[in-house]
Amino acid sequence: MSLLLQALRRPGTVRDLSLSAWDRLLREVHAHRLGGRLSCLLERHGVEADCPALVGHDLDAQRCFARYKQSQVRLELRKLNKALAPVGVPMLLLKGAAYALADLEVARGRDFADVDIMVPRTQLETAETALERGGWLSETRDRYDQRYYRRWMHELPPLHHRTRLLEVDVHHALLPLTGRVRPDPELLWAASRPLPDSPYRVLCPEDMLLHSAAQLFQDGEIAGDLSGLLDLHQLMQELGDEAGFWDRLLPRAEQLELGRPLYYALRYCRRLLDTPVPNEVMRAAEAFAPGQLNGRLMDLLVPRVLEPRYPTRRPAHISAWLLYLRSHWLRMPPGLLALHLLRKGLRRGSH
Amino acid sequence: MLTYRVGPFSVRLRTPLHDLIQLVRWCYGTNVDAEPRDLALFNVAVEKGSLSRRLFAPQAVFRTDSETPFQPFPRDHAFALLEWGLNWCIATRAHQYLMLHSAALERDGHALILPAIPGSGKSTLAAALALSGWRLLSDEFGLLDWKTGLLQPVPRAIPLKNDSIEIIRRFSPQADLGPVFPRTRKGDVAHLRPDKQALSRDMETVRPAWIVFPRYRAGSSVRLTPLPRHLAFVRLSQNAFNYRLIGVAGFAAVEHVVDTCSCWSAEYGGLDSILSALDRLPSPAP
Repeated sequence: MSLLLQALRRPGTVRDLSLSAWDRLLREVHAHRLGGRLSCLLERHGVEADCPALVGHDLDAQRCFARYKQSQVRLELRKLNKALAPVGVPMLLLKGAAYALADLEVARGRDFADVDIMVPRTQLETAETALERGGWLSETRDRYDQRYYRRWMHELPPLHHRTRLLEVDVHHALLPLTGRVRPDPELLWAASRPLPDSPYRVLCPEDMLLHSAAQLFQDGEIAGDLSGLLDLHQLMQELGDEAGFWDRLLPRAEQLELGRPLYYALRYCRRLLDTPVPNEVMRAAEAFAPGQLNGRLMDLLVPRVLEPRYPTRRPAHISAWLLYLRSHWLRMPPGLLALHLLRKGLRRGSH
Repeated sequence: MLTYRVGPFSVRLRTPLHDLIQLVRWCYGTNVDAEPRDLALFNVAVEKGSLSRRLFAPQAVFRTDSETPFQPFPRDHAFALLEWGLNWCIATRAHQYLMLHSAALERDGHALILPAIPGSGKSTLAAALALSGWRLLSDEFGLLDWKTGLLQPVPRAIPLKNDSIEIIRRFSPQADLGPVFPRTRKGDVAHLRPDKQALSRDMETVRPAWIVFPRYRAGSSVRLTPLPRHLAFVRLSQNAFNYRLIGVAGFAAVEHVVDTCSCWSAEYGGLDSILSALDRLPSPAP
């Protein structure tokens, strides 16, 4: 098993690592950009003093970097709120932004690629106009890309403010409009909660986990996204402590049509990170399991692409490619998918 | 494969280029293979470029484990590429330090910080000081440990550009310069290797005593002017690579170093005069 996976499963085990094992671990950590998170985990388990000095300093440094990214996220959210509040558009924080502002354990040391917020579909245009006026620009000018997002996706084309670097994704739904499953955004808004002392809302705990699962196993390409799996693992550990969480989770998954990704999340978190999922929940989630063939294929592919291999072992290219095709298959009906991939292929060829 | 230490960092280099290995050994001498080879911070490779380019205009490519930050260089410039590559590694990763874009040298246990502004002649000045009895701490990165307020040495080859190469050759016959790499993206470059003392004492941290913002002006006579603290603060914070990134700690570190050092701006037109002016800087009260 990869050393990084081992360290994430049981941080205490790093005590016994040899120098060359630390070397391998450090390279895996860096390739997956998990330095900040590992640093926080080691501290929480009281083993940060067991790192060789060189490793300890490096992990500290990555933590500084993560803290900085987090402060940028907070700043971006304040600016977004300043643009959206006057026109009456509420902001529902998603993913990392929500974890950070809700002060969840999972946000500690976490890196951010972008800021994700959701606005009500009916107010999407108002929001877009307000953001344009506030100085946010669309990152793509390509007409096909613009149409791709607007007609088929669940978010606007990525934005960024002209004076800042952070990407902002404005969602109006959780999953693509063309996808196999489309959880009703109304249900998410109705269950969402205001964040105390802030103008923002966040998803209720069950929806937060379900969104994270959908992100990785329904909409994502899975390969290399160990950070996504770690999100799920830590969310389950922390939210699972809330009274009634596990009882509400499965019915809610059914209601939002997210049973399948939840099943995968529970299964692979347990398998790869030894997440404490109650046995009866795991048993009940079997109802969402895929057919036998499909299930075996996923069992074969998913651990191969999630377990860190790069840079110390050869990456699992074929498994990653198959899961990439799967992610597109789930996003669009076959005819549209064929056209989209053809278009992307031609464009890549012409560059 | 070889492993070497540059101050607090260790580098594991894989490369098929024998000339490059020789240059690294020449430059970092006793610090090559000094560490246990098991654990290194930066895993880098300098590889031959694509097959088609191996016959015609051969290239060198710098890679880390997960990134290829630069376009390929001509094969002959591999050492310059490696040095720039390591600068990139340090700048993007070593946030446990406030990284000043400064040269730093030591005399009698006190450190002098020379922040770089374009045209300051920082590298030339650092080379001249290192050849005049000062201990080279660093040419490119003033690594200020913001937990202790001490400067961490990171002795590296000093890249001299264009006219500076000849100036330093004339300045000291002892100057140990490597080969000249003509027409790199920064012009002609030759590296002055750090001396034995700089290399062997690279883990001895030093308390900063002077901050001097140098400016080279041809024909000008040397003039050191005391710099008010608030100006020194602004200039030094703007000079750091990761000042904003480390947040409050960065603010406190700059404030502390500015408060405890004597701060000057210096104008100079010749090496000899600025050197003697820097030698005369009053030592801080014990």
